[in-house]
Amino acid sequence: MRKIFVILMALMVVGACNNKTAGPNGAKKFTIAVIPKGTTHEFWKSIHAGSNKAASELSAQGTNVEVIWQGPLREDDREQQIKVVEGFTTQGVNGIVLAPLDDRALVRPVEDAKRAGVPTVIIDSGLQTDSIVSFVATDNRKGGSLAADRLGQLLNGKGKVLLLRYAEGSASTTEREEGFLSEIKAKFPNIELVSTDQYAGATRDTAKRASENLLNRFGDDIQGIFTPNESSTAGMLLALQDINKAGKVSFVGFDTSQVFIDAMRAGQLHGIVVQNPFNMGYLGVRTMVDQLSGKAVEKKIDTGVMLVTKDNLETPEVQNLLHPPLDRYLK
Amino acid sequence: MVAEVKQNRALITSAALHNWLNRLGPVLGLVLVIGIFSLLMKTPERFLSANNLRIVLSQTVIVAIGAIGMTMIIISGGIDLAVGSTIALTGVITALGIHSGLAPSVALASGILVGGLVGLINGLVITRLKVVPFIATLGMLGVARGTAKWVAGEQTVNMADTWLNELLVMFPNPSWLLVAPGVWIAIILAFIAAVVLRNTVFGRRVFALGSNEAAARACGIATDRLKVWIYGLAGLLFGLSGVMQMSRLRQGDPTVAAGSELDIIAAVVIGGGSLNGGEGSILGSMIGALIMAFLRNGCQQIGWPNYIQEIIIGAIIVIAVALDRWRRSRAVS
Repeated sequence: MRKIFVILMALMVVGACNNKTAGPNGAKKFTIAVIPKGTTHEFWKSIHAGSNKAASELSAQGTNVEVIWQGPLREDDREQQIKVVEGFTTQGVNGIVLAPLDDRALVRPVEDAKRAGVPTVIIDSGLQTDSIVSFVATDNRKGGSLAADRLGQLLNGKGKVLLLRYAEGSASTTEREEGFLSEIKAKFPNIELVSTDQYAGATRDTAKRASENLLNRFGDDIQGIFTPNESSTAGMLLALQDINKAGKVSFVGFDTSQVFIDAMRAGQLHGIVVQNPFNMGYLGVRTMVDQLSGKAVEKKIDTGVMLVTKDNLETPEVQNLLHPPLDRYLK
Repeated sequence: MVAEVKQNRALITSAALHNWLNRLGPVLGLVLVIGIFSLLMKTPERFLSANNLRIVLSQTVIVAIGAIGMTMIIISGGIDLAVGSTIALTGVITALGIHSGLAPSVALASGILVGGLVGLINGLVITRLKVVPFIATLGMLGVARGTAKWVAGEQTVNMADTWLNELLVMFPNPSWLLVAPGVWIAIILAFIAAVVLRNTVFGRRVFALGSNEAAARACGIATDRLKVWIYGLAGLLFGLSGVMQMSRLRQGDPTVAAGSELDIIAAVVIGGGSLNGGEGSILGSMIGALIMAFLRNGCQQIGWPNYIQEIIIGAIIVIAVALDRWRRSRAVS
């Protein structure tokens, strides 16, 4: 028994040493875990690239930063994400940058991490706790209202509109949906919302199925559609293309991918609200390092949101937003 | 003597009637589901329209083709939990094939063959390593899913537009097909599988294996080799399901179809398959798959939340099997 205890102590000492290993130039080294909601969407790759950029920039300035990137592969696997957070907590990283899959389910592991001395910066989606360093994210309500403005303008303020929600319990998309709904109700009283209570589910496949079913019911009545994230927009676009309705309905989506850009050029998608995930990953890691170096940090940091349409698609500003330098920062 | 013959005939006809009822059970269930939704719906004409039928059929194809393979496995007394993962893996393989410039037909074949290979490995693990099917395929569930993510580089695989993407569109080209080509493929495969299971030596052996494995072996059936065949064949079908999944999404997604093995097993069970082996029919499984697709479709169009769909589908699985048991117990007494 005592032997085991001694071994455990030894391991803990070694572990503690590992954390505080000095960098090559004598500076402290920070190991920061960045945990996305998933790894398959292009959105997360941009966050990854942005956090790598922050790490290499800071390292060049003399603060040695290492980013570890790990997440659940499926976007609705809360259990797995909790385990990832717990794993990094016991591993003893210096800080965690987390995009929580759920605004409540991840509260306990994040609070546990804080108790274990590992601070957390939340990115992308909110978390219902005060035990965090900062919340670095898109102003999602504003994103939703931008979409509402665009759709209202496309429909000249009247017509029937369908909202396909993303998934139950996802805070960021819920805010977009609420932002969209309140803007429509406030600014466009003549627009009727025919369906606002159906969910697309986590993947493109579930989104496509839900879209097909809804379009069969409402397809002939509606003039406008809003979907609040990448997978729901992709699923709806596939469903519209299948029934040759793409382009005949005003369709505003959220997030970006090459497919959306092509659809926008083909006139099948009339606007996308684009976040700045590259900036989110970048600011997430920078905020964490500021905190670790004892600098003051803001409690809430906005990373920017923008409406992209066919008209501003080719501007350098939008192109830079749509094509962040992924290759430079992801090997 | 004459009386005896008469009694025999009566037995035969009642057996035939019973047989028909068995087969009709799932069909009645389907009619019931569609009927109830039509009554509840504010716009039944949309729900019952040809377009909605097209949608539901297209949505059913992936589960239906998987259920053909699963029916064979379940009749033989086995189970395959790795279907969802196999679908993801073969979809990714096909997408990668097209992405790297293979002809669509070659990519299609490679997707199907990889599915067959996965099934073959399952069969060999079950027979050679003596691992029960539940565990062997539970292992494969993880292995295939992990492999899919690995070969896809942990992201979705986008590829050029080919005719493979047209397999499950709602409006087929040429239009005289009426429904998506994939639907026809599923129907033809179901028909072939039904004939093979009912009228060939192979089919009878599958039933014999599932009814009583020891007796089947005593009768000279090489049960181990038969099992490898069954899992391999079913694997080919799962591979085709994977190609269909890719066609629906127009990309290979390594995270897709998680949990669809349960949908597929549920389709077989609703359709009268018994997890004890020796029972099940292709027609029943197809109807089972349709019942679930209509339920999802109907709930969504009525505007019921997702949790109601889940509760109803769960309840229907139990009710279907309970009704089956009840019918059987009456038939025995």
